[in-house]
Amino acid sequence: MSDKLNQIIQKQQKQIEEPHKKEDDVVQLVGFIIGQEEYAVPILSIQEIIKPIEYTRVPSVPDYILGVFNLRGSVIPLIDLRRKFKMDSVKPTEDTRYIVMKGHDNTAGFVIDRLTEAIRIKGNRIGPPPETIHAEKGLVYGIGMREENILTILKVEALLKRDF
Amino acid sequence: MEDIQEILEDFLVEAFELIEQLDQNLVELESNPDDLELLNSIFRVAHTIKGSSSFLNFDVLTGLTHHMEDVLNKARHGEVKLSHEVMDVVLESIDMMKSLLHAIRDNGNDTSIGIDITDICRHLDIISNGDEVSAPVAPAQMDPVETPMDEDNVDYSKLSDKEVEEEIERLLKMRKEEDRQRKSQATVSTPVSTNAASSVQEDKNEEEEPKVAAASVKRAAPESSTPAKKDASSSMEQTIRVEVKRLDHLMNLIGELVLGKNRLLKIYDDVEERYEGEKFLEELNQVVSSISLVTTDLQIAVMKTRMLPIAKVFNKFPRMVRDLSRELGKQIELEISGEETELDKSIVEEIGDPLVHIIRNSCDHGIEDVATRRAKGKPETGLIQLKAYNEGNNIVIEITDDGKGLDPDLLRSKAIEKGMITEREADGMSDKEAYALIFKPSLSTAKVVTNVSGRGVGMDVVKTNIEKLNGIIDVDSELGHGTVIRLKIPLTLAIIQALLVGAQEEYYAIPLASVLETVRIPLDEIYTIEGKNVLRLRDEVLSLVRLSDIFGVKQVYEGGEHTYVVVIGLAESKLGVVVDTLVGQEEIVIKSLGDYLQGIEGIAGATIRGDGRVTLIVDVAALMNLAKGINVDIRASAETVVKTKTVPSDYVVLVVDDSAMDRNIMKKSMEPIGVKTIEASNGQEALNMIKSSEQSIDAVLIDIEMPRMDGYTLAGEIRKYSKYKNLPLIAVTSRTSKSDRLRGVESGMSEYITKPYSPEYLESVVRKNIKL
Repeated sequence: MSDKLNQIIQKQQKQIEEPHKKEDDVVQLVGFIIGQEEYAVPILSIQEIIKPIEYTRVPSVPDYILGVFNLRGSVIPLIDLRRKFKMDSVKPTEDTRYIVMKGHDNTAGFVIDRLTEAIRIKGNRIGPPPETIHAEKGLVYGIGMREENILTILKVEALLKRDF
Repeated sequence: MEDIQEILEDFLVEAFELIEQLDQNLVELESNPDDLELLNSIFRVAHTIKGSSSFLNFDVLTGLTHHMEDVLNKARHGEVKLSHEVMDVVLESIDMMKSLLHAIRDNGNDTSIGIDITDICRHLDIISNGDEVSAPVAPAQMDPVETPMDEDNVDYSKLSDKEVEEEIERLLKMRKEEDRQRKSQATVSTPVSTNAASSVQEDKNEEEEPKVAAASVKRAAPESSTPAKKDASSSMEQTIRVEVKRLDHLMNLIGELVLGKNRLLKIYDDVEERYEGEKFLEELNQVVSSISLVTTDLQIAVMKTRMLPIAKVFNKFPRMVRDLSRELGKQIELEISGEETELDKSIVEEIGDPLVHIIRNSCDHGIEDVATRRAKGKPETGLIQLKAYNEGNNIVIEITDDGKGLDPDLLRSKAIEKGMITEREADGMSDKEAYALIFKPSLSTAKVVTNVSGRGVGMDVVKTNIEKLNGIIDVDSELGHGTVIRLKIPLTLAIIQALLVGAQEEYYAIPLASVLETVRIPLDEIYTIEGKNVLRLRDEVLSLVRLSDIFGVKQVYEGGEHTYVVVIGLAESKLGVVVDTLVGQEEIVIKSLGDYLQGIEGIAGATIRGDGRVTLIVDVAALMNLAKGINVDIRASAETVVKTKTVPSDYVVLVVDDSAMDRNIMKKSMEPIGVKTIEASNGQEALNMIKSSEQSIDAVLIDIEMPRMDGYTLAGEIRKYSKYKNLPLIAVTSRTSKSDRLRGVESGMSEYITKPYSPEYLESVVRKNIKL
């Protein structure tokens, strides 16, 4: 009896400790598709994800800045990641979403084609960014290796940095 | 420790206020040396500062005030005559007091910046000992000395305890003396006191009567005459000091509330349309109007908490003018009125510098020296008037001098000389435009560069600062008689009145403070001169620019024969902005675009409108700059058709019906015309297709009864876009009653076809509407 009890207690103990250990080197990401590729950003840098709403064009800015929109009383810039990555922009579909990301002192909405899923990936599965990527230069934090595909993990601070 | 900190803060706030008062009173005293009341109040102020600073162990400050107090005390008893020279020394010691106080504020003590007070104390002593001051103290002595004057400090700290005791003793003595004096005054010095009293009364009652004493600082506004002020300070209103940050936060919250209110009003309008005559509408109306009323009141109340009287800025000018007139060897009188006019704190802070520059200019270039004035038959003393008053949502500050005025020809030739304008431009310049040249950087008409002005920087600063506040500058001058500079500044910065305009499908808000007028003109009144569009408006020639060209708005529809021009004015320049629609005046809350989009040229910020959309606010100053770089012939481009369609297959007709069969019938009927048809199965789908404007649609056939969005709603939504104002909307329905037809017309349908119809009829209606 006491053996069994011990076993249970031990098992519970293990369960308590294990996720803790895991958490240390596991990165939680949100994956999304732009064009053909899957990208991801850390879940903690996302303020919210909303369906497309109307935005107002802002004059004399690069074409990847679509404009500004009203997020419950705040005026927030809207950036088209397709154009930012030098892809042709497409018409919004049912799956199009705005990901509102929050950095140190900036908040912006990013247009993406489709969300995929919340991803947990081990730190050691993330490799450095390849040097060949031009359009996304400086924006890539690393490449996440997954069983079925690879992820481009983006640097949120870099995305939110004004570069014009 | 915290207690001390608190006391120190209170001391500083109080001391700065007192010193400001001291400055003012002293200048007034100089021209009115017999005003014992004034002298007494000055003495009291000096004494209070001394008392508090010795309590807080600021020995240098205490020492300085002590010496000054001696002089003032002697003056009170008539032992020292307050000549201009004496005044110079006293004022200088006040300047030093200010620097000491600044040092205390910044460093927490008055020793570390090493201000040397020995010289000035000596001078003060000399005066109080009855000797004449031979020469004014050189300003160099005010400069901080590199090595801290330790010996001095030691001296004072040693003295301080003793001094405090002495002080108490002296105070007692003084009180007695004062009492005695008061008694004697009643009998002996009656002429003096009645004199002072009578001049006070005149100040209060009749402004026109000549002043008994030749005060160099006259207070034209009766409420603000000095005695009245003293009354106010004695029965001081209860106040509470609040951090500006908290007020700002409050202001932000109010901003949100105003947006909410606007939104509510908009929703109410929509609801009113739909449920006309329903009972609950009445109640809703009451709630909406009471909320909007309260919000407006609340907004005004909070704005008022941020308001400061402009006296805060004006008060330093008597001293400045006095110093300048001594320095320049001119006689200048400064007359201030309307200093009780209130302005937002942030504006009060910004307005100081421009005024300093304008007044310095008036003193230096405007007012002539005594000899010249005499020769011209003007009174020897020059007059500068500084006046503030409210005008609607703006405050107007007027600076008038009776000096030599501006010479428009001289300005023109100077500007040509410096290559700022061409000779041709100069010829076409009105006098008023020539006056505006004074605001250009590096243009100065002063023959000599003095310490005061003439470098051609000042007025440029005025212009940029006033523009920053969305203000307008107006210059008027008469050669030989003087100049009037009028600054018109909005009362507050956070919530403003704006004119909403439409440029094609986009809307922009123009701060109403910068809008001078709006006019509707026929296109053929626009002329082109050297590639620039101009409009003759009454006796002025106004350059025109289209808002769509400045902001690169996509041209989606043609304007009519007429267009709207919004005449904007900023500082001293004017511009006509051509817009496609005028939406109206609205109260808007300025929101920043955030760091990411900061500093876009031409955009000052954004606001959220009643319908939740973001509207950009135009930066009028930048707009005027941008306008210079645009060369589009407005008339020519308005006349070219946006898109040309030639063959029937270029035309697109949208068929909206939930029944596929009905859609097919309609398509079949239109086949003979040869137009392209596209389909939508409900109102929502159709609206999205129209909104996306992938295809330019030339006509829409609409069924009335459809899921998700019916035909009436669809028509109403389409008509909300000004570019679809004239798009033919043809209702095709089996609803035949008169009221249905009426509703169709109301919602914006252009034709009404009842089912069943013959294919030929439909065909002919479509042909007629797309003009094929």
